Amino acid sequence: MNTLPSLLSILIFPAGLTLIFTGMFYEWIDRKLVARFQNRVGPRWFQPYADMVKLFAKEQITPKLANPFMFFGLPVVAIAGALTSALYVPLMGFEPVHSFPGDLIVTIYLLSLLTMCIGLAGWNTSGRFSLVGATRALTQMFAYEAPFLLALLGPALAAGSWEIKEISIYAQSHWMAFTQPVGFVVALIGLMGKLELPPFDSPEAETEIVAGALTEYSGRGLAIFKVGKSVELIVGITLVSAFYLGGLNGILPFLLKTLVVLLVMSVLQTLLTRLRIDQTVGLWWRFGTILVLAQIMLIIFLRSYPL
Amino acid sequence: MNIEQTLQTAEQLLTGWNKESTHPESNRLDILITANDLRPAVTALHDAGWGYLSAITGLDLGVESGKLEALYHFCNGPAITSLKVHVPRTSDAVLPTIEDIIPAAMFFERELWETVGFQISGAKNTERLFIPDDWPENVYPMRADFKVEQAQPVAGRHADELPDEGVVGGNTFVVPIGPQHPALKEPGHFEFTVDGEIVTAARMRLGYAHRGIEKAAESRNWIQNLYLFERVCGICSHVHTLAYALGVEKLAQVEVPMRAQAIRQIIAGLERIHSHLLWLGVVAHEAGFDTLFMYSWRDRETVMNLLEQVTGNRVNYSANVLGGVKCDIGPEQIKVIKEGLDFLETRIRHYLEVVTTDAMFLNRTRNVGTITREEAERFGLLGPTARASGLVRDVRVEAPYGAYTRFPISAVTATNGDLEARCEVRLNELLVSCFAIRTLIDNLPEGPLTVKMPRKVPAGETIARVEAPRGELLYYIKSNGGENPARVHIRTPSLCNWVSVLEKAVGRQLADAPMLIAGMDPCFSCNDRVVTVRRTNEPTTWSWKQLREYGIEYYKR
Repeated sequence: MNTLPSLLSILIFPAGLTLIFTGMFYEWIDRKLVARFQNRVGPRWFQPYADMVKLFAKEQITPKLANPFMFFGLPVVAIAGALTSALYVPLMGFEPVHSFPGDLIVTIYLLSLLTMCIGLAGWNTSGRFSLVGATRALTQMFAYEAPFLLALLGPALAAGSWEIKEISIYAQSHWMAFTQPVGFVVALIGLMGKLELPPFDSPEAETEIVAGALTEYSGRGLAIFKVGKSVELIVGITLVSAFYLGGLNGILPFLLKTLVVLLVMSVLQTLLTRLRIDQTVGLWWRFGTILVLAQIMLIIFLRSYPL
Repeated sequence: MNIEQTLQTAEQLLTGWNKESTHPESNRLDILITANDLRPAVTALHDAGWGYLSAITGLDLGVESGKLEALYHFCNGPAITSLKVHVPRTSDAVLPTIEDIIPAAMFFERELWETVGFQISGAKNTERLFIPDDWPENVYPMRADFKVEQAQPVAGRHADELPDEGVVGGNTFVVPIGPQHPALKEPGHFEFTVDGEIVTAARMRLGYAHRGIEKAAESRNWIQNLYLFERVCGICSHVHTLAYALGVEKLAQVEVPMRAQAIRQIIAGLERIHSHLLWLGVVAHEAGFDTLFMYSWRDRETVMNLLEQVTGNRVNYSANVLGGVKCDIGPEQIKVIKEGLDFLETRIRHYLEVVTTDAMFLNRTRNVGTITREEAERFGLLGPTARASGLVRDVRVEAPYGAYTRFPISAVTATNGDLEARCEVRLNELLVSCFAIRTLIDNLPEGPLTVKMPRKVPAGETIARVEAPRGELLYYIKSNGGENPARVHIRTPSLCNWVSVLEKAVGRQLADAPMLIAGMDPCFSCNDRVVTVRRTNEPTTWSWKQLREYGIEYYKR
């Protein structure tokens, strides 16, 4: 392995800085769209960047009861997980930087790291709101993680590979949003659950528990978590559109497809009322998982006995 | 049954304990009883289903008389029976609690104890509700001999502070909501003890916005008070002046011209539209449906503009004067109001469709916080919250006042008693209000806007009740024939509805708690009516004079 190009690809392009800036830009698009749908003006384009600069410049207050090592370490682990996961997905329409058979599972694991860190962070700060928020975040993770994984397994089974690169090459000739519609819907909604976007924002429902698990975070820690979320947003969208929307073979298709997914997600955020945590869990296990399982059975059956 | 018969029934029910009965007004009956007879007398009225306990007024009859007076007002349609109890002005001022008979009395009794200094024997909860924690013991602001110097804060008393650890034990912890919390934009403090996600106990504390308005009223003249009471609430400012004006006009025996009454009602209707749309937005936000929140507040601007068109102000309209109204409604304004109403009606119909059909929103409102009719009656609920449970509590219908005597309206009710029903009732009420405003505008009587009011109001006492957007608003006004009122007691609708939140939150999910609070449309500033400024570690209480000087200095800069 060449050290310099690898380092460059991790730190600058396509992962690292580029990813962070694009992620924040996508976050702005999302906020702006939701604002316009809600008849508001919405933020200006540099708002997420300005927020970051402001947060990084601010004092970080460590709660008395929190373990300082974990308090500072968790955001770093969270963003590292999110950035590493970017190495295995076809960002900007380029080939993934790294790939090996089975990297799909690793990517999904790395993407869950952020939620787990947020849960731990809430438990570590042991504020009232953070504890309730952490419990909710982790409960929700158990709800969406399985169906989300199953929804990504569908294309993997169809392509006959567990390598993201292979699957996205297979996807370029197969629009799996049409052949596996259930999987597509579940993956899209699962992604919203993962990112704690409305209607799955009960872990940070401000009207009940202020800011949920991250209530006690301020300054850098909060900023890093936020950046991690932006990164996860773009990695998640890339993954879903690479698998279901006919692959990503170039920067233009990448922008087009990911923005369409983002648009759909903004519309859903605008239209839906927040679910209570019991309702979220019920929704995923009663409908999401069962539907996706049925589809996977069908795929396995069809592959074994072609029509 | 007419008013006399209703009052006779009450008198018959209470004959065993009646020491003296008087009729201060044609629709009122005062019955003097002893403190020991209070519980049986209340039970008799309660068991017979004679009306509901609307308020308890505490009065200090003065140092010379050596007596305190408590008035338990029971309302039944337009008829009001008040149980009058006299107790000595000493530490023997003890009243038995009636909380176990009527749960809603809890808040009234706590107010009675804190402000006038009645000791309530047998009360379950003796925490302070309105008065600050560092307020000295045995100092009661509504006593006749109260002086500001007595109100020196006691150091080291802050019962409010929670223990450092969030965890009470095991999975149980206390989640505080307020006084500063994103769910409540107004200062109130709730403590929900939760086990996991389930609420197991609820507690509340008010008084963060207590401004001592009732006390302040005693040192202002009748006209100044109109503007003081306007500031009880920022949302329903008009109905407060309306209730006050109606009461004072009744005492002064002044007949307000019909045109003025109609204009008062038009403004009250517009205010109701603005209040309910605001509420809809808040509930939608608590539920996490921000789109509805943004839309309903956008449309609320229309009605705010209408109010500005008519009165010149957006919040404190100052439309009422004693003896009439300040502003007229001309042809040009009628046109603007009609256009505004057309737009609002289509929007309200749309929202009605949304709250009754949107599956995701219904997830959070249907069968949440269901209050049955019986419970509503037992808690003593008022206004739209009661009407959503099928209990008709609407002063406009039960005891029409002002222009409602000529242009009657019908009460809107629902039967389910859950949050969905409360949304439905409030939105349907808006359609009724729109219709009522149109009728009033089309039939606006000709005539003068004001009549002359005497500077001094003849001695006497009266009760004025009006239907505020949140329910029945009751003003008890007493005059000694001077330029200032002797006592004004305000009972706001939110106070009666709190019981429902505390009772209904237990056993439900934490996520529903803010919805339940918002569901009854609480209004904290109405509830809280002494100013403590804490700038250093030493708490200081400012007198009105100091505060006024500070204010003047502040704005000079």
